[in-house]
Amino acid sequence: MTASRPTPTPPEHLPARTARGGIDSRRSLLLHLALILGSAAMLLPFAWMLSTSLKLPKEIFAYPPTWIPDPVVWQNYADTWRAIPFGRFYLNSLFVAVSVTVIQIVTASLGAFAFARLRFWGREPLFLAYLVTLMIPFQVTMIPNFIIVRYLGWYDTFLALILPTAFSAFAVFLLRQYFLGLPMDLDEAARMDGAGSFRIWWQIIMPLSGPVLAALTIFVFLGSWNDFLWPLVITASTEMRTIPVGLAAFQGQFKTDWNLLMAGSVIALLPVLLVYVLAQKRFVEGITLSGMGGR
Amino acid sequence: MTTTAPPSQTPWWQRYRPDQQWEAYLFLLPSFAGFLVFVAIPVGAALLLSFYDWNLLSPPEFVGLKNYTQLLAGDQVFRKVMGNTLYFTALIVPLQLAFGLLLALALNQPIRGVEFYRLIYFMPVVTTIVAAALVFQWFFNRDFGILSAWIWELGTLTGLPIQPPDWLNDSAWAKPAVVILTLWKNTGFTMVIYLAGLQNIPRELYDAAEVDGANRWQRFRYVTFPMVSPTTFFLLVIQMIGAFQLFSEAFVMTRGGPAQATLTIVYYIYQVAFDFSSRMGKASAIAWVLFVFIFLFTFIQTRLQRRWVHYEAGGE
Amino acid sequence: MSTHRVRRFTFLFLLAALVISACAAPPPPSTGTEASSAPAAAATEPAAAEGPVTITWAMWGSPAEVETHQRVADAFMESHPDIAVEIMSAPWSDYFTKIQTLWASGDSSVIPDVLFLWPTPRYAADGVLENLDPYIEAAGYDLSDYWPALLESAMLDGSVYGFPRDIGLEVLYYNKDIFDEVGVAYPTDDWTWDDLLTAAEQLTVVETNGRVSRYALGMEGGKFQRWVGQNGGSILDDMRNPSKCTLTEPAAVEALQFFADLMENNYAMRDANLSQAGGDAAVFQSGQVAMIIQNASRVGSFNAAEMNYDVSTLPIPAGGQRSASAGGAAWVMSSGSDNKDAAWTFLSWLQSTDGGQYLYTASGEIFPALQSTARSDAFLTADMPPANRQAFLTEGENAKVGAFGYFPEWGELSGSIIDPGLQSIWAGESSVTDAVASICEQVDAFLATNEYPK
Repeated sequence: MTASRPTPTPPEHLPARTARGGIDSRRSLLLHLALILGSAAMLLPFAWMLSTSLKLPKEIFAYPPTWIPDPVVWQNYADTWRAIPFGRFYLNSLFVAVSVTVIQIVTASLGAFAFARLRFWGREPLFLAYLVTLMIPFQVTMIPNFIIVRYLGWYDTFLALILPTAFSAFAVFLLRQYFLGLPMDLDEAARMDGAGSFRIWWQIIMPLSGPVLAALTIFVFLGSWNDFLWPLVITASTEMRTIPVGLAAFQGQFKTDWNLLMAGSVIALLPVLLVYVLAQKRFVEGITLSGMGGR
Repeated sequence: MTTTAPPSQTPWWQRYRPDQQWEAYLFLLPSFAGFLVFVAIPVGAALLLSFYDWNLLSPPEFVGLKNYTQLLAGDQVFRKVMGNTLYFTALIVPLQLAFGLLLALALNQPIRGVEFYRLIYFMPVVTTIVAAALVFQWFFNRDFGILSAWIWELGTLTGLPIQPPDWLNDSAWAKPAVVILTLWKNTGFTMVIYLAGLQNIPRELYDAAEVDGANRWQRFRYVTFPMVSPTTFFLLVIQMIGAFQLFSEAFVMTRGGPAQATLTIVYYIYQVAFDFSSRMGKASAIAWVLFVFIFLFTFIQTRLQRRWVHYEAGGE
Repeated sequence: MSTHRVRRFTFLFLLAALVISACAAPPPPSTGTEASSAPAAAATEPAAAEGPVTITWAMWGSPAEVETHQRVADAFMESHPDIAVEIMSAPWSDYFTKIQTLWASGDSSVIPDVLFLWPTPRYAADGVLENLDPYIEAAGYDLSDYWPALLESAMLDGSVYGFPRDIGLEVLYYNKDIFDEVGVAYPTDDWTWDDLLTAAEQLTVVETNGRVSRYALGMEGGKFQRWVGQNGGSILDDMRNPSKCTLTEPAAVEALQFFADLMENNYAMRDANLSQAGGDAAVFQSGQVAMIIQNASRVGSFNAAEMNYDVSTLPIPAGGQRSASAGGAAWVMSSGSDNKDAAWTFLSWLQSTDGGQYLYTASGEIFPALQSTARSDAFLTADMPPANRQAFLTEGENAKVGAFGYFPEWGELSGSIIDPGLQSIWAGESSVTDAVASICEQVDAFLATNEYPK
């Protein structure tokens, strides 16, 4: 293999590979078989959640286990929605997750751009410091964080829910790794044409990073959506609560309302799935345009 | 085989480029300001706290290295949770990477229903851990759970004396049960990151390899593998940190039991910090010992990465 | 990664400097949220205050329980228009994490005035709780109405720091349908351990392939002390100021062996399996166990499921004693409260026969801490099952100290040494004698490290 450096052309500009695109049918069949088996294993717990969310309490743990509830208790969903101010929690969660995602993507991509594509004094130790903080569990930094937020006067506000979680070394690390994988010639060519760093970031690097930005969007949104301990600790009033905090209440000291908990979890799942489906379009575009990398 | 430029070997003083200095700081500023206030300072505070005795209620009291010496000298639980955590890390990280890469490779092909598959394999990631762990907990029950029900059924049908394991009641089986839950929950994450990495591989590399007569394995070995190696490195570090900090899975599904068989370091930190007599100083000390471990592993990996991680931009 | 040590150290040093400067910063100016500044203002203006005094009230609870709490708050506000009560609830699992974080911030404006708390002595020892003695004396509040030994769980050094809301004493719930089907006589107050064993043998169903389709008993491993106490044994020689572990003594070993054998013979569900299967309430409702040993909190769900069941006192060994646990989470007042008088008014109303106690008891969620409420129509004549409510009263009259320690380190001692040690017995992985020997060795070392007895 005597390949030269890959051309700096963005993958999106490559012609679709249609002629040799198919996989022979026997292999394809085996692949589908394996994927379907795997899917079944993946879906089983989820199917159980769904089934439990529609059962009466006494049927949940019956033996032999039943998959189709009898009777089907749609009422559980209504009960869940009424038991906690779900609508309010939903809006809170949505607002927080969207804000965190936007802030994080913008700040992290700027930071990662500096770490991956600019040279400056303190680059390595600074990056190391970012990495290091990933290694300290939240359980011990929560109280110092609480004190800082309290000091800023943000207790029980949206600022407290959003800002402290909007800066993570994870995002910077992920983007830096990805940016390092893009050919450096791109920047050099652009600089030759008189482009500044900001333009390179916005017009070259970011457009080339669709897949990773899509992935990051999902994870940041997801992380924020499912975050539990911090929102619990930093809010006091019911109006500021988010969905996971609301759901946790169904696990009581002496008993768990399984059906309501599962119904609530199913409701909570939907927006994240939607974000995933939307973000996934980015991957699909990538695939149809750039061919089947990685075969 | 790959003939792309080797990582830059320029010494740091030559890499110093005054013209990019302030620009770079400007780029970093938004991220760094937030990072400093909400990440770095709390982390530093946690370090300071590890030299104090603090039960959260009365003022902290400076005790020097006492928390560390007690921990390293005589804390049997600490030793146990270290062992458990290493076990989890050793199993979860490689399995997760392997499954994630396999899935990503399979789902990076133009097969029918690929979007659908990707959705399904990602669904566990999206599910709240509490609901998932509760479902698994019940799946594993020996007498009334669904997995066991099938195994009992199999025994009845075949007439063989097959019995399901007593998963969560047996310290030998409880650990794999936690591993299974973690893999189920997180493999989709690895897959998505890998998919993003695979998207980044230029088509020409495969074409060139094919022209050279490379077979499927060779194309994977000499094109795909090196080209996704920055992704692999990222995942390796992140997954390791994640596995070392395993908490929720054990917290909800096994409560660390039976007999602390699935108690992890972070779970122990949580117990020490909030459940028991609230020894925040000791909890911080455990966190820092954990940190040293993770740091060493990460450091070794960053050293080793020069041998196998391939960066286009000529980073390190 | 660059290995330039000098720079890295400079950086870390700078970081440390930042941390120190941040930590050394003066305490926050009292920017107080509206909730906290309003009552402060109200408190300084005596009777002439225009609006009601607001107190915050924290507790854990499921949505249904929070509804009851809110009803209680509403009832109080109706009879006390000068005091407004604001609820701050958190899920049970992380309530204590949340409350401790609030205290750790050292800022009393975020700390609720009245809280639900357990274990009280630990918090009282650190001075974050108000000593209630002066209030009790001034108001002539009647302490003798509490069940024997119960109030002690909320005391430290002879002073009362909280009022237990309920007493978590257990009774034996049994499924009448299963007993009828198998033809076993219902449990009575005279039941001994042997009677329990005989019944268990008949009630348990093991299929030919080895699967247990019905266990006689579901009981959480953590309740082991009831057996030990009934048999005259104890966990520590003194639960207030221990000098050594006494689980290795014959009475305790015998009791643990009794429990272990119940599990070994498939009469009782193993502890881990019980929680995996959804907990005792779930297996009892689905008929997978015929009896459970649990407190009054289950009554509501069993009634909602229209089960055919009743309760009885716990079986005790021949020649043994009743040994219910005299403990329950307590209502306490924060020592940093700005409205202590209002907080006391609320607190004492909560724990009055016709006040909060009545409402909680009538909701069917608790067995009340006050004997007068327990004997009132709120508990006794409610026309719902279980029929034998007297069983609760009998257990209550015999409540004893012994299930938990009354010293600050108890939580750590039981959570990190005793419970995990016993779990290996419940899992059938260790013999009773081996397990208690190892537990006692560690407990004694722990007590020595923490300088007990004091």
